[in-house]
Amino acid sequence: MQTAKRDIAVSMTGISKRFGPVRALENANLEIARGSILGLVGQNGAGKSTIIKVLAGIIKPDGGSIVINGETVASLTPASVERLGVHFIHQDRLLVPTATVGEAVFLGHEIGLGPFVSRRAMERKAADLLQRFFGMELPPGTLVKDLTTAQQKVVQITRALAQKASVLVLDEPTAALVKREVDSLFDVLRRLRDDGIAVVFISHYMQEIEKLCDRVTVMRNGTDVGTVDPRQTPIDEIIAMMIARDVGEMFPKRAVTLGAPVLEVTNLRLGGSFENIGFNVRAGEIVGLTGLLGSGAKEIVQCLFGLKTAEGGQVKVEGKQLALSTPVKAVRDGIAMLPEDRRAHGVALGLSVRENISLASLHRYSRGGMVSRGSENQAVDGLIKELSIKTPHRDALVRELSGGNQQKVALAKWLSCQSRVYVLDEPTVAVDVGAKVEIYNLLNRLAGEGAAILLLSSDLLELVGVCDRVLVVYRGRLAGSFSGPSMNSDALLAASSGARSNADGVAA
Amino acid sequence: MSVSANENPKVSLRAFLAKYSVLIAFAAIVIFFAVASPTFLTPANLFNVLVNNVVMLAIVALGLTIVISSGGIDLSVGVSVDMASMIFVMLLAAGYSGVVGVAGGLGAALIVGILNAILITRLNISPFLATLGVLFIGQSTQQLATSGGQPIYLTSGYAADQFNAIARTALFGVPTPVIVLIVLAVAVHLLLHRSVFGRYVQAMGAQPGVAWYSGIRVPRELSMVHVLCALLAGVTGILLSATVKSYVPLSGNAFLLDAIGATFIGTTLSRERKPSVIGTLLGVLLLAVVKNGLLLVGWNFYWQQVGIGVLVFLVLAASFGLRRAAH
Repeated sequence: MQTAKRDIAVSMTGISKRFGPVRALENANLEIARGSILGLVGQNGAGKSTIIKVLAGIIKPDGGSIVINGETVASLTPASVERLGVHFIHQDRLLVPTATVGEAVFLGHEIGLGPFVSRRAMERKAADLLQRFFGMELPPGTLVKDLTTAQQKVVQITRALAQKASVLVLDEPTAALVKREVDSLFDVLRRLRDDGIAVVFISHYMQEIEKLCDRVTVMRNGTDVGTVDPRQTPIDEIIAMMIARDVGEMFPKRAVTLGAPVLEVTNLRLGGSFENIGFNVRAGEIVGLTGLLGSGAKEIVQCLFGLKTAEGGQVKVEGKQLALSTPVKAVRDGIAMLPEDRRAHGVALGLSVRENISLASLHRYSRGGMVSRGSENQAVDGLIKELSIKTPHRDALVRELSGGNQQKVALAKWLSCQSRVYVLDEPTVAVDVGAKVEIYNLLNRLAGEGAAILLLSSDLLELVGVCDRVLVVYRGRLAGSFSGPSMNSDALLAASSGARSNADGVAA
Repeated sequence: MSVSANENPKVSLRAFLAKYSVLIAFAAIVIFFAVASPTFLTPANLFNVLVNNVVMLAIVALGLTIVISSGGIDLSVGVSVDMASMIFVMLLAAGYSGVVGVAGGLGAALIVGILNAILITRLNISPFLATLGVLFIGQSTQQLATSGGQPIYLTSGYAADQFNAIARTALFGVPTPVIVLIVLAVAVHLLLHRSVFGRYVQAMGAQPGVAWYSGIRVPRELSMVHVLCALLAGVTGILLSATVKSYVPLSGNAFLLDAIGATFIGTTLSRERKPSVIGTLLGVLLLAVVKNGLLLVGWNFYWQQVGIGVLVFLVLAASFGLRRAAH
């Protein structure tokens, strides 16, 4: 803690919130100072987003007090919070794509006379603000959809500033930005801080916290476990505060006995995305794949499942060459896919646990085209028990399950299919810590049973903790293969951003 | 989260009413018409309702139940009805046997279904627009083929009389068309709720992305959905022609909105809010009884439409009651 008396903009004390039996916040505190950038970190489910939603007036706390700009506020609504000068830049709440920049900046606070909106005045004033705060020149009338993601963030911030924001909360603002854009966003935030604005910065990237924040508050299990200066505290220590155990416990290790190569990729190429990609995944091996957005790592995974058609190269599963053109063929050839967008592609929320689990393997539970409920129920019950999926019964809708359990259902679908190769695309996004560990355990067990696992992830900690080997993609090419002691998050990050090339050498 | 049993008698009465609201509403409607019109409950009238108002509409609605389960829609069912009717009547009028007539009629409906399937799965046109286009084309085709919409009548001939007889006879006291409906309804029920194909249909309806990512041949299954829907509508076309011994251009259109209405009434009333064969049949029955009853109490055709509209609102209100009682 710093000793100097700071100018406190927001002070939340003793905040508690329960959702049924789940304790989301328990006596949590958050103090936001003017003229300073506060980092807020914690695992998914630690209570970060809940406490921010309490401040935003979206969630009503069960107890605790909130003081904003010296004024104790009894109950908050999203509108009243904005009037108090606290503004939020949410991760996924985007601007209206067909609006002009002026309309976006003054949305809800339109300038005009009576019911008539003066578009010209709004455009001029918006251009003025963008120029003054950020030195950004946009032609008047530019549409939001023509802006880059970073420019859209800036427009969102401008909207807050136009309404005299004194506190600015940004939830994962860098998630979709490239490095150059991150740098310019950081410059903007630093300037706002110097102007006396209180900035809260929520991020999963420790490097960003270290670079930008003056202080960082760590949350765990619904409460704040400490506030430190990230420049003087090693990252490992902050991570230890977040997970309250050794990194080793979070990632259960297993004895590795690798078998023959199951997945063999040779010289895979997709124009504009990647080329000359070659690697093997052996039976029992968990291979990580990572790369920045746009590096081509995602497209490699999509080609393996037939979602995109590679323009050249070979993919073999257990020695058999595959014609990967559609997921239909990929599934039949023993490839399983855990997609990143679980709600759109992983599980059908409106179907039952049973219908989801058996969806890809109905041929095993049917005779003459009719589903045999007996054998289906038996298999589904077995998998529910095996993966300890928490569901009231097999016919409950998947919608009613927690994120982690939904992910287990998505995985159970492929276990039921007896797939040989598991391709996982960011499997632990929006899954709480407990479920994460369970998913890691499942991956270990799958690998132990001889499956080949390819894990695409941007969580470097997870890659280092779970994988036997990590491949890094940079600008469409394999930039490195890391294993053993060379496999650490610094090396992976460096290779991802093209700074350093490989440690182990790249298998061609 | 499951709904726990509630001990409060007031709430449980409301829950009871909500749970059986459809049956209560149905009984109330039947009693109302039985009192209002002495002919309503006579065997002759019930036979008439079943054969003329229920069976043909229900078979079209069965097809739409499959399509709507898959997350799509088929606005061209009327065209399938008409095309089957037209070819059936033309073949019979030309002296072909009944078997050839039925095969030709179903073949015509099949072509409509395949056309829909190609537009939707190959050209990626949304089911709404694709089948709307086919609806327009189908209507014009009929007018071109019948010099502006002249009906074709079947003069007495062996096959024509035989079919007309089938449409008007009964087997063990059950009208033959009703038997056709029961067989088809059982088949569609098994297909939709018990077969692998049915699972795929439900998955595509619930979340098409998940179906694709699970290795389901979505284009193939979707084609099958549209072909089945058209074929079922074709059966109605043949039954229609056999009943009235003629083909009247564009008469199939009358089925479209009623069949969609029946399917959605069934969906709204079901606990899972999914289309089902039983729900659809219930919807058809409700519509048919109200139409027939209003006719018997002397309302004209236009007021019948108002009656149907009111029925749809009542169903929605009942469904809201159901939903609220569940909370």
